[in-house]
Amino acid sequence: MTFVMRLDDNGHYKKHGGKGMMISQKDSFLAVQGASRIQNTGGIKMVKIENLVKRYGSLLALDHFNIEVKEGEIFGLLGPNGSGKTTAINCILSLLKFDRGSIRIMGEEMTPDNYRVKREIGIVMQDVAVFEELNVWDNIDCFCGLYVKDKKKRRELVEEAIRFVGLEDYRKSYPKKLSGGLLRRLNIACGIAHKPKLIIMDEPTVAVDPQSRNRILEGICELNRQGSTIIYTSHYMEEVEQICTRIAIMDHGRSIAVGTKEQLKSMIKTGETVTIEAVVLGEKALSDIRELPHVFDMTYSGQTLTVRCTGAQHNLVRILNYLQNREIPFGRVFSELPTLNDVFLEITGKQLRD
Amino acid sequence: MLHLMKYSLLTKVKNISAIFWPLIFPLLLATMMYFAVGTMEESDFETIPVALVAETDLSKGERGVQTEEVFQAFLSSVETDSELIHVEEMTGEQALKALENREVKGIFYSGSEPSLTVGSNGLAETILQMLLESYSEGKQTLEDIARLHPEGMEAAVRQMAQSASAVEQVSLGGRTTNGSAQAFYAVIGMACLYGCFLGFGSAMEIQANLTALAARRCAGPVHRLKMVFSEIIVCFGLHFANTLILLAYMKYILRLEFAGSYAEMVPVLLVGSMIGVTMGIFITSIGKTKEGVKIGIMLAFSMTFSFLAGMMNVETKNLIDRHAPFINRINPAALISDALYCLNVYDAPKRYAQDIVILSVLCVLLAAGTFLIIRRKRYGSI
Repeated sequence: MTFVMRLDDNGHYKKHGGKGMMISQKDSFLAVQGASRIQNTGGIKMVKIENLVKRYGSLLALDHFNIEVKEGEIFGLLGPNGSGKTTAINCILSLLKFDRGSIRIMGEEMTPDNYRVKREIGIVMQDVAVFEELNVWDNIDCFCGLYVKDKKKRRELVEEAIRFVGLEDYRKSYPKKLSGGLLRRLNIACGIAHKPKLIIMDEPTVAVDPQSRNRILEGICELNRQGSTIIYTSHYMEEVEQICTRIAIMDHGRSIAVGTKEQLKSMIKTGETVTIEAVVLGEKALSDIRELPHVFDMTYSGQTLTVRCTGAQHNLVRILNYLQNREIPFGRVFSELPTLNDVFLEITGKQLRD
Repeated sequence: MLHLMKYSLLTKVKNISAIFWPLIFPLLLATMMYFAVGTMEESDFETIPVALVAETDLSKGERGVQTEEVFQAFLSSVETDSELIHVEEMTGEQALKALENREVKGIFYSGSEPSLTVGSNGLAETILQMLLESYSEGKQTLEDIARLHPEGMEAAVRQMAQSASAVEQVSLGGRTTNGSAQAFYAVIGMACLYGCFLGFGSAMEIQANLTALAARRCAGPVHRLKMVFSEIIVCFGLHFANTLILLAYMKYILRLEFAGSYAEMVPVLLVGSMIGVTMGIFITSIGKTKEGVKIGIMLAFSMTFSFLAGMMNVETKNLIDRHAPFINRINPAALISDALYCLNVYDAPKRYAQDIVILSVLCVLLAAGTFLIIRRKRYGSI
């Protein structure tokens, strides 16, 4: 069953479409890492999308999509491919028509002619969007020039952008000579050179090597520290977890849950997932493990046991004690705290990577 | 706007595939045509045999006799000054028989209103018709000269005959021809239309539903019309330069000699370049088909237009002129080729002007159509 969780005015999550569930927001804030980032989330609304509906013929791409992005946030849009992330971004940028709803950026309605607002936005497209015929410097200058007319100032901004993405040695290189990672960095430099207040990044790390990916993610955090609000879409939950201050999980064109990663994880039942490999269990043992305290779900397949427990402590110890007491041999053991994939799984009944 | 134009120009100049079709391909084609068509024409071209039947209009007295004399003098001058026609005086009966036996291509009747009878349609018959039209246009002047200043008659007839016999003066690569000229004009027409590839490139970079690059540009704070204008200006300027290079190549490298003034050919290239560019932007702007499909459509259009304009076989244009003239009146390649032919062969300024006007109207229609499509600012899908 799919249901939607939203933060209400009192700071509680409400589950829509299923049995009601109230979770205190207070506890989840205590565990937040990088508290300084969270403090920014109380700021002015940078982007507000209400009831956005977008259809492609009979396909409903955005289904009453709602988000609010506050100034200073790195706001993540997380969802599997086809969940509507890019469609939402294109609507925000006023490139796509939509059937219903409203989009406000910096308090103003976003329209194709709202050049004042557009001037404050930087875009990093999912596909690398640079001119093959221009070298690195010219590409950045070309896009920066759409926003900044003053040549001297632009020259400084271009140099700054080149340094920022680490392309100092490639100023005169043409895109076809750059590796995938360097190309992605150029793509980012073209979008951020004019120092926009709002940066929209649509899966900027797709097909990028780990080294470049880390550099890009560090760069995004740095841009945020410098004052830019960032909307970051991805289907890589690790990236979103790593850099985003708040996250909207999307599925079938809807934001099914919104909050910090801790808030999202606290919404679900799973507190710990224990996986034990190379273990041979009979019906009796499986039944006993299922009956252990805090165990609410269990799967056993190919001699691998996966046990989901609620957030209580000592789950792993209890399970291992049971196996040792009955002299049941086992292989490697893993204990994982809940991930955003668990959140997605529990809400939608399917894996984020499906 | 200058910033947009600067980078638009840079990207186009550095893009080999973008300049291949509008510039390199026409140069190659002109070179190949120089060796192929020129040689062929050398052996094909022959003096046109024509019969002259005297039909003195006695009812008009001295005036009728004078008209007949003036016309005969005109034909005689064309025959003497060039080898374009060979005139043989015959009776009406003999002339018709000769025409039937294909011994002559046409019969001129030299009455008070000279007329022409031909047995079929073709290049030779067209030339005879043009000769008659040239005479008719200057007839009154010649008759006035004959009446008032008979001593200047010979010079006047010679002057007019020179104008009418421009066909003979067209010497391409040292080879006497007019059919090959038509083919070269069709190449120029095709080159103009190949500006569509520059227009195509521009449309791909300014319509958000076509490429990510265009989407990024459209998301920026630049007014759509400013973007479109800068692209059109750059494409047009660049392609106009392409066509001038082609013309210079024909003149200085291939050493083709055009009878008309080069300056008069420039307006044709100007409008032709514009129509090529607008056609490209227009076709690319329609719908959201794949890049390859759009290129295919453009190639199909420009090649078909060029074929109908007589690029592959000069008779094609003549055939269409005879059986479906409307097609060539709206075919940009045929209009460009025809305008050049008017300048260099027919010496028909009215028709030249008409061609330019039609081309300009087509240009405006295509540009207006493009704006109607491109002014759309949000797309249904990207």
